[in-house]
Amino acid sequence: MHRILRLSVLLLGLCAAVSSYAADAPPPALTTEDDLGPAIEQPIDFPHFRHAGDADKGGMEINCMYCHTYARRSMVSGIPPIQKCIGCHQSIESVRDKPRIKQLFEAWDAKKAIPWKKVHDLPDFVRFSHERHIQRFIFQLNRPVQEVCGYCHGNVKEMTVARRSKQLSMGWCVSCHEKDHPVTAEGGTPVGEQAYWYSMRKPLIDASGIVKAKGPNDCSVCHK
Amino acid sequence: MMNSGSAKHLIKPLAIRLSEQTTLAESLVVAGHPFDRRDFLKVLGWGGAAVALSGCGNGSVEDGKETVVSYVETNDYMIPSISVYFNSTCAQCDAGCSITGRVREGRVLKLEGNPDSTINRGKTCGLGQAGVQHHYNPDRVRAPLLRTGDSGEAITWEKAYALIAEKMNGVSGEEIAFLSGGVSGHLKALLGNYLDSFGCKNHFVYEAIAPAVLRAANKKSYGVEMPRFSINKAKVVLSFGADFLGSWISPVHFSQQYAQFRKGVDGQRGVLVQVESKMTLTGANADRWLVVRPGTEGILALGIINALGTATGDIAAAVKGYDKARVSKDTGVSAEQIDKIAALLKARTPSLVLAGSAAEGYAHGSQNAAAINLLNQVLGNVGKTVEAAEVVPFPQMAPATGNTAALKSLNDGLAAGRFKILFSYAANPVFTAPGAMKFTDNMAKAGFKVAFAHYLDETALQADLVLPLDSALEDWGTQVPEYMATCAQINIQQPLMEKLHAGTDGKGTRGMGDILLALIKQRRGEDYKKFDDYYSYLRAAMLQNKGALGGGKVDDDTFWDETLSKGIIKLEGPVTALSGKAGAAGLSLPAPAAIDAQYPLQLIPGVNASLRDGRHTNQPWLQESPDPLTTIVWDSWVEIHPKKAAELGIEEGDIVEVTGKNGSIKAQAYLFPGIHPDAISIPLGRGHEALGRYAKGYGVNPFQILDAVFDKETGELALHETRVKVSKTGSRVIVIKDEGPAGGKQMGKKIAARLPSDKVKLSEEV
Repeated sequence: MHRILRLSVLLLGLCAAVSSYAADAPPPALTTEDDLGPAIEQPIDFPHFRHAGDADKGGMEINCMYCHTYARRSMVSGIPPIQKCIGCHQSIESVRDKPRIKQLFEAWDAKKAIPWKKVHDLPDFVRFSHERHIQRFIFQLNRPVQEVCGYCHGNVKEMTVARRSKQLSMGWCVSCHEKDHPVTAEGGTPVGEQAYWYSMRKPLIDASGIVKAKGPNDCSVCHK
Repeated sequence: MMNSGSAKHLIKPLAIRLSEQTTLAESLVVAGHPFDRRDFLKVLGWGGAAVALSGCGNGSVEDGKETVVSYVETNDYMIPSISVYFNSTCAQCDAGCSITGRVREGRVLKLEGNPDSTINRGKTCGLGQAGVQHHYNPDRVRAPLLRTGDSGEAITWEKAYALIAEKMNGVSGEEIAFLSGGVSGHLKALLGNYLDSFGCKNHFVYEAIAPAVLRAANKKSYGVEMPRFSINKAKVVLSFGADFLGSWISPVHFSQQYAQFRKGVDGQRGVLVQVESKMTLTGANADRWLVVRPGTEGILALGIINALGTATGDIAAAVKGYDKARVSKDTGVSAEQIDKIAALLKARTPSLVLAGSAAEGYAHGSQNAAAINLLNQVLGNVGKTVEAAEVVPFPQMAPATGNTAALKSLNDGLAAGRFKILFSYAANPVFTAPGAMKFTDNMAKAGFKVAFAHYLDETALQADLVLPLDSALEDWGTQVPEYMATCAQINIQQPLMEKLHAGTDGKGTRGMGDILLALIKQRRGEDYKKFDDYYSYLRAAMLQNKGALGGGKVDDDTFWDETLSKGIIKLEGPVTALSGKAGAAGLSLPAPAAIDAQYPLQLIPGVNASLRDGRHTNQPWLQESPDPLTTIVWDSWVEIHPKKAAELGIEEGDIVEVTGKNGSIKAQAYLFPGIHPDAISIPLGRGHEALGRYAKGYGVNPFQILDAVFDKETGELALHETRVKVSKTGSRVIVIKDEGPAGGKQMGKKIAARLPSDKVKLSEEV
């Protein structure tokens, strides 16, 4: 008797789970829509616009990869070590008394790491490599750095602390992977049969004679 | 409904298991109704599915939830998500395999073998792989603990050192005993200096499972304790219970030699014949496995010498009485098999005969080993497959090898009240000493007991002061293996990452070297004040001998950096030529003991390749990796021959009581054809009452019921000399194991075909 009771409770739970899934989660769709994430409080309000922004708006136009130096070499772009901030700021006397810079030097003097909050945090079952994307678009296709980083991170050069502005959902990722991107053989992008080794799809030549290829669409590329 | 129906008949034995043993939590009771494990798992499963389903969708990107902590300062090679590799030495056993640790974001993630090592050539065993679980173990001791009544109070190191100095005040060196496991390298030298500083000669080097009898027999037969065994050069290997693929001396090294041996010398595939009373992993791999009456290995060896008929002089005279009929009667090995072995050994040379722990573990173990070594001599293998090994040219760093005779003399000393202070390092005698020795009671007679420990093991629980050690992946050191492969080598141990429990307020873990250095400074402050820590001691000591260590042409920093980078120093060591002419003089093997009516069975303590003497049982990977022969996990078992089981009415899963003269233990029965019908086997290593959450309460500890019988010549504990009886208790469990029904589910494909033994044509077999 109790067994039947228990089992029916379990089944009820399963029905509830299925219906809750059906109710609040539409299947992932291809989309390029922007989707502004919540504002996130960071230990230091790092002004991206000041460092990376355009010169005519008071920015320094520093290359993203100067600080996020790991992006082109590694899975993650990384947060620069405090050492790197101090490298410049020790000789910038003019802003030394600003509260944010004081905070920075306090951390440096105490040799204490700063606990930043992750803004762009993919689920653990997604394997995203910064290196692949940076190498492909910046170094092979010679696209501007801020444009390439902006594909996923939005217009960071106008932000103070970064805020997510893209969906970063699977449908959103795939929408870009479905596009035909030019392929330059001299840049080292795998072409022909070799492309399959990298889970790339076979490049095609379009009407204007440009070799183009879509991004990889194999499940295992992102879901290892 | 189908689920609940089919579950019903399975639930009963599980429930028995739960009430029978306290290994798992008591049956869950929900709202007054029993809610068993199976139902609990079902709810968990459905619940998990529900969570997973409602978690799907686009909303799983987490904004601002997790923290990303950047470095303050960093080396250029430290790139997040990119691994760096450091070489060190595996400390899971004494074989001295070199390892390479993969370190990412400052955390060690994986250990692999270092290809440069001549011992393990880039490989590791399962025990070595579990080294990371030793390091990250949640049950590590994290602060010095001082006994106050039944509990331990965390104190600072400063206080701990002061306490040791205070307790040693006015105590003579003879009243202090230092118990340790095998030690070598600079740690051994430093420990020796420390003990000398107060005139203590009581260093007891104890290993519960060590080839100590073999060492003594080798010394007699070959002139060295540990020659080099070249399995790869032999065309036949005849092994008397040496589990060289599992746990014997240097298993990773021997496994690779074995692979070469199998490929064959001169195109002739090597043949392995294993003779033992209980099948080991090596036995399972053998071309021919022969079961022998426990303790009669030496008789069989002499019988084979007799059957060879090539011996002359006193050897021939000594083996004269060992004719096939008698040997066959004593050992249970048929005359036909003895002839076949003799023919095989004659036809294929060189061969190699190995004496393993199974042959050593008797009161006449030395005689067994001597007889087996004699067989090597007669076959002319000495100098061919038994060769002289190179030794490290620094005798003060040579390994102090452990044995069980040391435990006996320590125990006798403690019983007589000779020791006021006892130090214990890398040994757990409360767990591994036979119950008959009453070690725990004797240990209590020492006034002040200090345990250097990674975990609160059984011995640490008896101590007055517990000093927490760094893990092997956090500590500095050098190690000299007992068994040298093709060249002499000194292994470097270096931290693969920062200490996990560095502690605050002067507590936290410390390296053994650092502790010894602090202690020796209490005695000889002037001599050691220039060394801030063990690292600087080690560096200075190595640089002092830079020339002899092969760094004569480079500057200090280059030499040191290269040494750390390689993790190994290979040396052209001196070779002591094999000497010793083992004659048959003094060889006297007792006739097999008559069957004791009260205790008719011989208890063979099984040595599992993962668990060994049980010091690493708290590493769950080792608990969950199935025993290679029975595939049982997380529990102990009693191996019993199916015929004997039928005689006693025992079936698989019956909880049986194994009773000897010194107590009894209960465990599940496992019917195993690879054991002598007059013997049973229980694996060592489980049955902890302490050590940690993954070890405590799982299985039983056969050390407890071992009789204190010793080898007559060496005084080593005879591990196989315990006689027991087996009786059913009436309760029953399902044996938790990986294997399916007998023969395995082969889906009718005859993947591993079975053949009745009378259908095997021995003449066609190797």
